[in-house]
Amino acid sequence: MLNYAWFIFLTPIIFAPISVIAGKKAKALAGVLASLSILISLILSIVVWLNIRGTSTPIYQAYNWFDNINAGIYVDHLAVVMVLMVSFVSLMIHLFALYYMKDDPRKNTYFGETALFTGGMLGLIIASNLLEFFLFWELVGLCSYLLIGFWFFKPNAASAAKKAFIVTRVGDLLFIIGLAVLYSLLTVQGVSSPLSIPYLINNAPKIATEIGAQNLTIIGLLFLGGAAGKSAQFPLHVWIPDAMEGPTTVSALIHAATMVTAGVYLIARVLPLYANATALAPDAVLYIGAFTALFAGTIGIVVNDLKRILAYSTISQIGYMMAALGMVSTFGESVIGYSIYHLVVHAVFKALLFMAAGVILLSLMELRDVKKMGGLWKRMPVTVSLMFIGSITLAALPPTAAFFSKDTIIDVAYNYFIMNGSNAYSILPWIFLVIGALMTSLYTFRMFFLVALGKPRSKLAEEAKDPPKIVLIPLIILALLSLTLGVVQYRFYDFIVPGTTKVVVPMLAEYTPLTVVVIGLLITIALYATTSWQRINLEKNPVYKLLRAKYFLDALFTRVIAERIILPLSSGVSRVENGFSISIEGTGKGAMGFGGILRKIENGVIEYYFVFLIAGVAILMLLLEILGGI
Amino acid sequence: MFVLLIFLLTIIFAAISILLKKKAWETAAVESFIILVLTAIYGLVDFRAYTGGIVSSSSYPIDRSIGITFSTGVDGLSIALIFLTTVIMFAAIYTAKNEKFDRRFYGLMMFTEVGLYGLLISRNFLFFYVFWEAIIIPVFLLIAIYGDSRKEKASLKFFVYTQIGSVFLLLSILTLFSYYGSSHGNVFTLNMSNLLNPAFITKDITDKVPFWTDFALFGFFFAFLVKMPSFPLHSWLPDAYTSAPYPVTIVLSGAISLMGGYGFFAVLMPIAPVIGVSTAWFIIGLGIFSLIYFALTAMFQPNTKKMMAYASAASMGFISISFGDGILAGGAVSYTAFAGGIYQILAHGLIMGLVFASLYLIKQRAGTESNLSVSGLWRDMPYISAFFLAGIMASLGLPGLAGFISEASIVLSSYYAIGALIFMVIFGMIITASYHIWVVQKTLNGPFNENMGKLKDAKGSEILLLSFLFVLILVLGIYPNLFFGPILSFVKGVI
Repeated sequence: MLNYAWFIFLTPIIFAPISVIAGKKAKALAGVLASLSILISLILSIVVWLNIRGTSTPIYQAYNWFDNINAGIYVDHLAVVMVLMVSFVSLMIHLFALYYMKDDPRKNTYFGETALFTGGMLGLIIASNLLEFFLFWELVGLCSYLLIGFWFFKPNAASAAKKAFIVTRVGDLLFIIGLAVLYSLLTVQGVSSPLSIPYLINNAPKIATEIGAQNLTIIGLLFLGGAAGKSAQFPLHVWIPDAMEGPTTVSALIHAATMVTAGVYLIARVLPLYANATALAPDAVLYIGAFTALFAGTIGIVVNDLKRILAYSTISQIGYMMAALGMVSTFGESVIGYSIYHLVVHAVFKALLFMAAGVILLSLMELRDVKKMGGLWKRMPVTVSLMFIGSITLAALPPTAAFFSKDTIIDVAYNYFIMNGSNAYSILPWIFLVIGALMTSLYTFRMFFLVALGKPRSKLAEEAKDPPKIVLIPLIILALLSLTLGVVQYRFYDFIVPGTTKVVVPMLAEYTPLTVVVIGLLITIALYATTSWQRINLEKNPVYKLLRAKYFLDALFTRVIAERIILPLSSGVSRVENGFSISIEGTGKGAMGFGGILRKIENGVIEYYFVFLIAGVAILMLLLEILGGI
Repeated sequence: MFVLLIFLLTIIFAAISILLKKKAWETAAVESFIILVLTAIYGLVDFRAYTGGIVSSSSYPIDRSIGITFSTGVDGLSIALIFLTTVIMFAAIYTAKNEKFDRRFYGLMMFTEVGLYGLLISRNFLFFYVFWEAIIIPVFLLIAIYGDSRKEKASLKFFVYTQIGSVFLLLSILTLFSYYGSSHGNVFTLNMSNLLNPAFITKDITDKVPFWTDFALFGFFFAFLVKMPSFPLHSWLPDAYTSAPYPVTIVLSGAISLMGGYGFFAVLMPIAPVIGVSTAWFIIGLGIFSLIYFALTAMFQPNTKKMMAYASAASMGFISISFGDGILAGGAVSYTAFAGGIYQILAHGLIMGLVFASLYLIKQRAGTESNLSVSGLWRDMPYISAFFLAGIMASLGLPGLAGFISEASIVLSSYYAIGALIFMVIFGMIITASYHIWVVQKTLNGPFNENMGKLKDAKGSEILLLSFLFVLILVLGIYPNLFFGPILSFVKGVI
């Protein structure tokens, strides 16, 4: 018998084709069916949560999939928090999409794909085997690809979808090499189900002694490659800003709240492997995460596209989650709590910000340049107020939830430095994360002031107005959560990893993040709350140029690797192939009288066929007879 | 016994197809469907509790003096490929509905099925060889008569290449045959299970004249690598695939392509112990090189049909890789490798069937298969586009679809055998993903090319066939044990 928890992910997957088909006739039905399926998932998630809340025994059920690979479900405290978050945020976004996509002629396809995506994401979270995990990992990647290119007729959307697929595919294949290493080494050790998640996390020290910590490090680094592709960490982050070409609800659901955090979840899921590897594996997670948090933030402050600002902020915030996980060697598994708490808070406020942006863009006919907005607080008071709540949460001002979740990570990074004081480099994560907080404050308030204050700088912005209040209900719920989730901070940590102690840092370190955020706020008030930014011309500034060019990483991937290496290689090889083919034909010139013969035998095809066959068999028998006689 | 009856039925059906003057398509479609259903029933009945070895075997002596018996039987490998054959033949004949082919066309198609069926159930090398040859002729004629303007060159190339391969196959068989006879007191046999015995080969050939073992292995490898095809013996493939009419392309890519792989696992895998480590490395090298070389070539093709022909060849590289892995790894890892390779033959056939069947519909409507002039097909043809996309996704190895199971098994098992070279395999897979996604972006996405005029989407009957293929691919991706179980039992039984 299947445990009911299977239906957490099966329900939306089953409903996906139903809503596509049913929605063909009755367009309104598609969204309702998809939302309903996710509501069922949410209810089931709550039931599971209530059931396993008091115990430490996870729900585990698995069957043989093929060979020595089992597949099933594994729901522990970590997973149940994630399914609750994903099903809840997804439900909110689906409800909002009922309004946002109301005029799209293909909305049945849209809702089918988002329902399938949600099912895939939920399946990924509760998968009990890494190969099964990888299946869902690719399924959500496919949905992301389809939904980025949902408006397929827009060339930008089509090429963004392609880029997203290929860049994440690079990460995915690194991930699968990691699986291959793990699988091969464990199968040789005689492990019966080598990729089973409960086996891996419960036996990590034993595995480390069996296959060697160095091998675990290799596996960890390859997994990190996969996680970096999916979670848009440096240097595989380049696809996410382009992915903003999809519908805004897609950006909210997939590229902000849920799928992009799958990489963080992967590392959190198998964190015991990192804890037992050599220091390099967790350090790589820490430094890449901390660096990305800073790096993406710096690009964010010069971007003018509303959605892309949010995209860079997503990359940066995920960097914080990664960095937290990377400190496992010092703080043990309690880092999972720090990371996942920020992940959940981020999902809530980022979904809110994206949906608020969606409302604005719908009203401004997809005009996304913040420099052409302005004065919207007066024209769309409710929406922009909701966006304000999202913005102060993103910037981590008290008393919003992110103040608790993000500052804790920065504080933990400070303690990491204190406890690894002999190593001077260990202060870098803290510095990166603090400067990252400054960047967050800068780009967030720059965005918000440009959108909300001043005078409208385009005709569309002048005519903007709030949508009906009822469609804003999901946003209001998320806004309330953004403000209040901070209350559960330590209960949350304790639920994920029992026994997490309070993070204590010296006074000076404790107030550093808040101070830099306020500094950022003051700078943006000086520049962007007034019109003084319009007088500054940065076009000639080399730093500005570097940031605008996104550190030339995109150019490296497309102009150099794709166009200068892969394409010439491909054209060269196909030229070789053509030459090869022609030279083969040249050697066969003698047989060119063949065409005539061919025309002759065409007339009696079947008869000739039999003659050939019988003659052939006769000759063969004769040959065998002779050989046998020797 | 039952399977032999199905085989006899295919021969009768082929004869009917040739003789019946009217309703050629209907006849052939019904015939191939009956064979498919009977085979499926047989598989479900006889393979529920399969634990390895040969089942449903029967044997009719023909010439005892030289050991010729018409012995047949089915194992976990051949049941999978028989199923693939029947599905692909049905799909190919079904898609030929709208074309005005004459009865000879369907007759030749049915004879191809006879040949493949016979090859897969033969347990005697004589019949193995006869059917191997018997397949070449109808396929050659199908290309030569019904192909496009390049049909003569294409069919000639196909014929010459595969004939040279066959000669080597025959020489290898004869080598084993004569050594067996001379070392067993002139008791001759052509039974595959007797000749493909590593103990016999080591004791009676390698220990006496090592050259002849190498000679026989070389002949087998040559014949199978031509058929697969692997670089550098592939030159017939792009021409044959592109020149042939679509139904024949489906047969070529789905069913004929199984022959090389079948040879690997039916003939060479039992004698794996006599295949040296260096040979295994050589085969892996060919596989990896083929994968990357064909993928890079495919990337640059402006013609989607030719691109997918190269894609088909590229994914055959996985079979070579898996075979080499299996020999190098040993133990439980080699089971995964060999089974993955066999599953790849099955998955690749079905996927190519879906890809070419949906591409056929695009060609019929848009009038061209150039990916430079077709664009924005989603607008007018959402169904065909969806199936083409599904085929493309399956072809690049998306999890949940059949190709993933085989590629995952092969990649998972290959680290142990080839170590860091696995990065080359992955490089090939990245190139593969790139051009697959690129062709979708060019043809399905983007603004609609108005020069094509208004295009009609697929009809109900066409959707039915594409759905059938897609559902099979999906089922084999989600519930692989349907075939993976028997295949694994077969592999464990042989090694």
